[in-house]
Amino acid sequence: MGADSLLDIQNLKLDLPDGRRLLEGVSFQVQAGEALGVVGESGSGKSLTAMSVMGLLPGLYASGQIVFAGQNLVGLPDKSMRKLRGARIAMIFQDPMTAFLPVRSIGAQIDEQIRLHQPRSRREARARTVQLLGRMGVPDPAMAAKRYPHQLSGGLRQRAMIAMALSCSPDLLIADEPTTALDVTVQAQILTLLREIRDEGAGVMLITHDMGVVAQACTHVAVMYSGLVVERGPVRDVLDRPLHPYTQALLAAIPPLEGPRPEQLPTIPGQPPTPENRPSGCVFAPRCGFVRPDCGVRPALIETEEGRRVACVLYAV
Amino acid sequence: MNVLLEARRLEKQYKLGGGRVLHAVSDVSLQVHRGEALALVGESGCGKSSLGRTLIGLTQPTSGEVLFDGHRISGLSDHALRPWRARMQMVFQDSSAAFNPRRTVGESLAEPLRIHGRKNIRARVDDLLDQVGLARSVADRYPHEFSGGQRQRLNIARALVLGPDLLVADEPVSALDVSVQAQIVNLFRDLRASLGVACVFISHDLSVVRQMADRIAVMYLGSIVEEGDGLEVLDRPAHPYTKALLDAVPRPDRPLPPPLKGDVPSPVNPPSGCRFHTRCPIAQPKCATDRPSLQPCGVGRRVACHYPLVA
Repeated sequence: MGADSLLDIQNLKLDLPDGRRLLEGVSFQVQAGEALGVVGESGSGKSLTAMSVMGLLPGLYASGQIVFAGQNLVGLPDKSMRKLRGARIAMIFQDPMTAFLPVRSIGAQIDEQIRLHQPRSRREARARTVQLLGRMGVPDPAMAAKRYPHQLSGGLRQRAMIAMALSCSPDLLIADEPTTALDVTVQAQILTLLREIRDEGAGVMLITHDMGVVAQACTHVAVMYSGLVVERGPVRDVLDRPLHPYTQALLAAIPPLEGPRPEQLPTIPGQPPTPENRPSGCVFAPRCGFVRPDCGVRPALIETEEGRRVACVLYAV
Repeated sequence: MNVLLEARRLEKQYKLGGGRVLHAVSDVSLQVHRGEALALVGESGCGKSSLGRTLIGLTQPTSGEVLFDGHRISGLSDHALRPWRARMQMVFQDSSAAFNPRRTVGESLAEPLRIHGRKNIRARVDDLLDQVGLARSVADRYPHEFSGGQRQRLNIARALVLGPDLLVADEPVSALDVSVQAQIVNLFRDLRASLGVACVFISHDLSVVRQMADRIAVMYLGSIVEEGDGLEVLDRPAHPYTKALLDAVPRPDRPLPPPLKGDVPSPVNPPSGCRFHTRCPIAQPKCATDRPSLQPCGVGRRVACHYPLVA
């Protein structure tokens, strides 16, 4: 795949100035028209990976490669990065309140974003803004554009933020927990929207901790743990037949919404390691039920079958 | 008598500026039995937190009454309510806000025991830590030294200090990662089994609720629209809103059905008739004019709908 990928991250490492390593070598790809779900618990590095792609981590040292449309973004000057950011790569966040300035109408902010990247008159930009808001299912979009962020409900604000992110038709949309703060019925509306964006040919990278969201909105999934990708593959395969013991444990810990109710939910003993005490071997070994002596050596993310990879000695050949 | 807590025709309104009134809880009647776990579910703004706080006397109802163990506790002064406080406690979502950051957790856990004049305080604190699965030695540590899951255990220990008969837990696991969430869900089950404490869980997560609660009350715009055995309600919903909530949960095995239209209407100006009729996929003309009351529907089950999905 590599060369044709919209986004190809290879062995991305991220270090703090004091030498602590936050990302231990993240590798995955996002193709045009596909949605990759990046899942993992707090502190696993999923948001850091996204922020690295956006070039929004000043003061941290990145190494490895982030190739977007043939261009390596690691070490790219800020001026070049700014041309991509918002135009070809856009990002939406969990909290739309912080993405909008509270003192200007949402329409004015979306207009500005359009005019920053494209030569359009104010009137043309506003027409595009209203069209975008309408496409996002915002009722009475011309009126909504004149409103201030606090005047909109959470669901409408989230849709306005997606409208802003899509204003320049980006090739890659990164969504960091876009529905976590929303009610399920509103979440369902946003997930349907993300599906449409993908169907229109953009690549989507969706960061979430919710396996149900991944199942609904993604074609592929990468599971992160302690700064590493431990498993990745097509969504159906990974959810139906998880290979890595961590993925298996994560899926088992979700209470079922149908069928018999278990007495006790399976849990994962212990806690994830901090960057300072990350094991030198397999990062999951201290909590793993299948641990054995050769787990002391860090397993590589190897291909087990077409399109599937896992970093675990159980599948070493 | 098996009923521990009873709410009768509870109303909670908040006066806003300009003569407007927000109807947070409207005409809610419910019972919680001894040792039972009841879940209040619904979307943000449906009144589940307001109802939880009113049940436990943290806010006073505008009208209606709350009975605890057969005694009327609504309308009591803070002073008169104090002896009852020991018997009902709240577990909050934000576990970091529930402890004084400048005191060791042992000191914080001991304080209510001192105020209520209990003896053998140190032994009681040790007991509590055992019950919530923490080492006794953590009593000498400060709140910031704990992970989110451990803090939630401490938070539960704090609520259990005085040996309450009832816990009201507002989103007790929604801020936690899945693997930690499972540990806390299990802990609540163990505590209910060993202590016989009744619980009211307030949650928006249906799969968590299914695991934690015996009975479920689904709320929409301040009212209960459906109530019954947890598995019954979630496996065979009778109210179209319950079904819509379930349908909206993303699951691996099926595509999302078309989502509900629009947003939840404002509780300042709720719709006429059935409050759900503006978004209901099976609404009829009658639903816009006549407000359905909670009617029995099967065994131990009530639904407020003119056209319930199960008879």
